[in-house]
Amino acid sequence: MSFLALLRLLLFASATLAWSSQACAQHEHEHSSSEFDIFLSAEALRASDHVQRGDDDPWFAADVVFALTKHQFRIFGEYFVSAEEHDLERFQVGYEFVPETTLWLGRFHQPGSAWNTEHHHGRYLQTAITRPSIEFWEDQHGLIPQHITGALLESRIAVGQEAAIQFSSGIGAGPALTPDGYEPIDLVDNNPGHHRLSITARLAYLPEYVGATSAGFLFGHHELDVRDPKVAQALIAGRANLDVFGAYADWNRDPWRLIAAAYYVRFDPAQASMRESFIAGYAQIEHQLAFRLTAFGRTENSARMRQSRFVAMFDDQDGDFDITVRRNAAGLRWDFARRQALSIELSRVDALTYRANEIRAQWSAAVP
Amino acid sequence: MERRGPVSRLVHIVPIVLTLLLGAVAPAHADERLVLVVSANSKIEQLDSLEVRKLFLGLTVTHNGYRLRPLLNEADPHVKEVFLQNVVSMSDITYDRHLLGLALKQGRTQPVVFHDIQSLIASLASDPNAVSVAWLKDVEHDPRVKVLRILWHD
Repeated sequence: MSFLALLRLLLFASATLAWSSQACAQHEHEHSSSEFDIFLSAEALRASDHVQRGDDDPWFAADVVFALTKHQFRIFGEYFVSAEEHDLERFQVGYEFVPETTLWLGRFHQPGSAWNTEHHHGRYLQTAITRPSIEFWEDQHGLIPQHITGALLESRIAVGQEAAIQFSSGIGAGPALTPDGYEPIDLVDNNPGHHRLSITARLAYLPEYVGATSAGFLFGHHELDVRDPKVAQALIAGRANLDVFGAYADWNRDPWRLIAAAYYVRFDPAQASMRESFIAGYAQIEHQLAFRLTAFGRTENSARMRQSRFVAMFDDQDGDFDITVRRNAAGLRWDFARRQALSIELSRVDALTYRANEIRAQWSAAVP
Repeated sequence: MERRGPVSRLVHIVPIVLTLLLGAVAPAHADERLVLVVSANSKIEQLDSLEVRKLFLGLTVTHNGYRLRPLLNEADPHVKEVFLQNVVSMSDITYDRHLLGLALKQGRTQPVVFHDIQSLIASLASDPNAVSVAWLKDVEHDPRVKVLRILWHD
């Protein structure tokens, strides 16, 4: 049996077990438990200029999360399905050595992203409809690798009476750079190879061990194998390094929430004259109102992105994504029923090649 | 002598009636005590406030090497309201999103929810590592469970 076939079997078995165990959760054994959730969303988009629906705006998407816990062992997966794609985004096998210190093996979301480690692919837990451009996934022509296959260590250590330090670090095979952007290792399909080392980390301070507020530093070092002949020729090398240094804050105090992050990205190919860097960041503020309404606003900005040849390499000809240089967005979310929400978002986008006004409406839900 | 009209009389009567009604309703919650409960067979002697909060917020809490399992009591709206305010210190919507977030981030299991006190007690009694909250009056005479301490009282 090939490795891929074995992996598919394991995936199918764990998802089925998680689903079936969930159905009889009240009879679960004291040392084992399971989780099976589906995050659903449907979206409508209207925009000025020539903007069209992109990969970040699927009219329908379902994010299936399944997990099994037995003693200190865990199996966990996330399968994302939309009108445009379906992919096993995460599949991790973990062992919790001591409470809140877990070593995972598998494909995971790199911990050096402030937004993606919080919201992942599900839309329901993300108050805004859009995600910041610098946090885009690889298949949305994101500029920072997000999926790594290897080992991930996550730990939370108490400091003093109430506070904690959170540390996460991932090491493994990162994406290759192809004509379609980054291509991470695919767990359920063939891989052409050319995946090189990625090291990412997050170090955060939590004023409350059990709280949702945190602030910290983010780091990523990615060695990229360039599979695009044109790009390789332009770089005069088949390899390049990408270093990411960031800082973030996620402040929660009902009814307010502020999430902000800034990244310094340095592209370093073998050809010294091609070395360059840019900065990108965003801040989103949310306020819970009466009647289960939440107002939100976000501003995204960048420096030197428009001049970057590295960023230009991700420019897409079919126009189904935006590399946003600047965006101001505001909107309203209404949690009209248990685990169901309607959202509306207005935004002014300053992309690499155009400016546009956009309006989005979204229904999102979590089941069960 | 000044005579009061019907409206004026209502203005005086309504507050009195409301006060009496509120007085009649209040005693229903007056003696309520929310307690931390485990199985009578459990080896858990006590859990401090931080451990209780960690447990119900979905984090790992162990006792003698065993992982504790939180059971959510939603047998009546008031028990849930008191639990949210005094145990996890979160609004309903924030708590629900927090638990979903843990499931999405790390596949952590969400606590099992019980809408019926007898089912909750039966589940609690069968698992020495399960922990829940309940009104004292619902559990104090039940030999299958033991009360660790009072978390809130009126």
